[in-house]
Amino acid sequence: MAQAGKGRLNYRCPSCFMRDLDIDMFYDKEKGEYYCIRCQYRGSEADVLAKNEMARFRYGAMSKRFTDFEDFS
Amino acid sequence: MDRFIVNIVHRPEMVPEYAEKVTGQGKAEDIGRGALLTESLDIFKTQQAIAHKNGLKTTIQMTYASLFNDEAVALAKEHHEKYGDEISLSLLGLPCEQFREKYHTKDFCIWMFSMEEKKTIVRDVFGKFHDRFGFYPESTGSYYMDADLINFIKAEYPSVKCAVATCWEEGPKAYHTCNNSWYTFMDGGPWAPWIPSKQNTHAPAANEAEDSGIVAIPHLSRDLLACYDGNGSNFGTHPQNVLRGMIYDTKTWEYPYLYNLIDQYRHLAKFNNGYAYNMMFVGPGWMNKMGRWEAPYELLKKSYEDGCAYYGQLKKEGKLTDMTMSEFADFYREKKHYTEPECALWRDILYGSDKQLFWYCDPYMRVCVNMDQGGAIVDLRPYAAKLEWPVGIGTPHVQDASYPFLIQEKYRAGYFTHYAGEGTIRSAKICHNGEEVDLCLCRTHGHFSQVCTDRVLTLDPVEIEFSDLTVKLQTVFTFPEGTGQVRIERRVLSMSDPEAAVTINEYMVACYGTTEYAEDMTSLTLAVQAGQEKEVIPYAYRCREASLAGADEVNCALPPIKTKVTMTCQGRDKTGYVREGYAFSPMFTLGYTGTLREKEAFSTWLRLERAD
Repeated sequence: MAQAGKGRLNYRCPSCFMRDLDIDMFYDKEKGEYYCIRCQYRGSEADVLAKNEMARFRYGAMSKRFTDFEDFS
Repeated sequence: MDRFIVNIVHRPEMVPEYAEKVTGQGKAEDIGRGALLTESLDIFKTQQAIAHKNGLKTTIQMTYASLFNDEAVALAKEHHEKYGDEISLSLLGLPCEQFREKYHTKDFCIWMFSMEEKKTIVRDVFGKFHDRFGFYPESTGSYYMDADLINFIKAEYPSVKCAVATCWEEGPKAYHTCNNSWYTFMDGGPWAPWIPSKQNTHAPAANEAEDSGIVAIPHLSRDLLACYDGNGSNFGTHPQNVLRGMIYDTKTWEYPYLYNLIDQYRHLAKFNNGYAYNMMFVGPGWMNKMGRWEAPYELLKKSYEDGCAYYGQLKKEGKLTDMTMSEFADFYREKKHYTEPECALWRDILYGSDKQLFWYCDPYMRVCVNMDQGGAIVDLRPYAAKLEWPVGIGTPHVQDASYPFLIQEKYRAGYFTHYAGEGTIRSAKICHNGEEVDLCLCRTHGHFSQVCTDRVLTLDPVEIEFSDLTVKLQTVFTFPEGTGQVRIERRVLSMSDPEAAVTINEYMVACYGTTEYAEDMTSLTLAVQAGQEKEVIPYAYRCREASLAGADEVNCALPPIKTKVTMTCQGRDKTGYVREGYAFSPMFTLGYTGTLREKEAFSTWLRLERAD
């Protein structure tokens, strides 16, 4: 088995990202998957992208444009 | 009229921190790679072009490496002539072949070198700058500049009047986010420009004698709520921060958060005599053609174009003034006086909660009040101590440049602990007939006002429900300028039974440190004093307590951080107490109990001073 390398972009592990940990994943071209060397996550590019969308759940106001910074009504 | 100032700072880093490690993956390290140098310079040119296209002047912080590059030097001169950009000098970007050959080290953070090496490097870098430009710079910077370094630079190069001197709340959180590999520990500083004291960069100067001679600016303007809890590098006015935090729509590539962040900073003018500040400081590493994180080059470039376009639009609308760093230093000196605090009433603009914090910073303290916890103080830094804290090789703090805390709710718990012990927090408990309610559980919001030289934070009243009594209570914080004190007043506006009385317990659980882990508490001394009567507890983890009715003050002396923290009180039936911690909960508590009736107030003062 050949060594892993870098994928198209330096995707971070979505599982670690959700615990505020930035870890670039490596790409196993034989299996066609990214994997994390810190935790047990592995997945295809499509899965990484889907999990990254999931990670945004905490940004409840990500799409909101605020015009008042003291109005909580 | 409000003034919103922006500093746009670019640095032609020839070997960007990220680029060699990330884009060079799979290749042996070669910091002299021609392709790397060319790409870095191209990115710098692109960033300059984007700023200029939007009518913004920049501060070009030349790096050591770029001083060896004729094209970079020529570009700086040309842009200074053509656009009014300031030619400045950064102490970031040291790595290059010339530096490695000369200093035989891979260290690149100026504050971590020994003092002797700092002097040698500064003289070398400033000398090289003079050789190339024929003058010494008026501004400089790094991620952090320790006091000894600033004092040395100011003494040797008096022309320097501005410096990038800290990264707000970049400490253990950043270290953890970077898989425990990024050794930048600099928590506890100001989030907005300040005049550093000669003793400690993070602690603002209280007067001319303490003035280091420079105006410091933070590295980026960061989200005062998100950065306190999460990774600082995700929530700042560097577009890459926002991309790193994945705070954008992957389909539309829109990021309203970036604009909300800028706008909330603009809003801070309301609390600071009509002045607000932003800084955007970028190097080339993040904008390389291979993309960064999950973002392709096109998105990286778009984010910078959009960020500059927004600042440019604000400028066109007369809502923003772009300045170079040295221009800003002059403006700041004219605008602010030493004891004038920096205030920020900050709301959550990302997570969709209604959480709100109030940050206060002056030469005596940095305080964070959390309205979501009933106005509890959740972070407290005793700047009054002006703690000398040498940093770098050969000092007790090789990497740790953070200003120590007394309270830090994330590192040493706040209200919530796991079944045992106590976390650091300054709050109050209201008690009635054996029931107890901590104000930490009373969510509310606050409003800022200024009365003469007092900054006042008035919280919306909260209702405390006991089984047979409801109490409507309001908290008011007053920060009298230049005193090192904060007054917390609890007012009972009404009670369901007007004849009832409740007990109040004003308390502060604290410790000291810069990280999550406990320090040795055995040199601390707790004391409670009432007239001539005094009880003292030398800290020995024995869970002891002392109290005195009518106490004039309760205090704790903390020799390791040369700080004395004191609480005094005015209120019915006041009794002061001090409480020692124990091994599993290595904190101390200062407090006052008393009685409150309808329409009455109970006031406590928290005072910070140097003690040695």
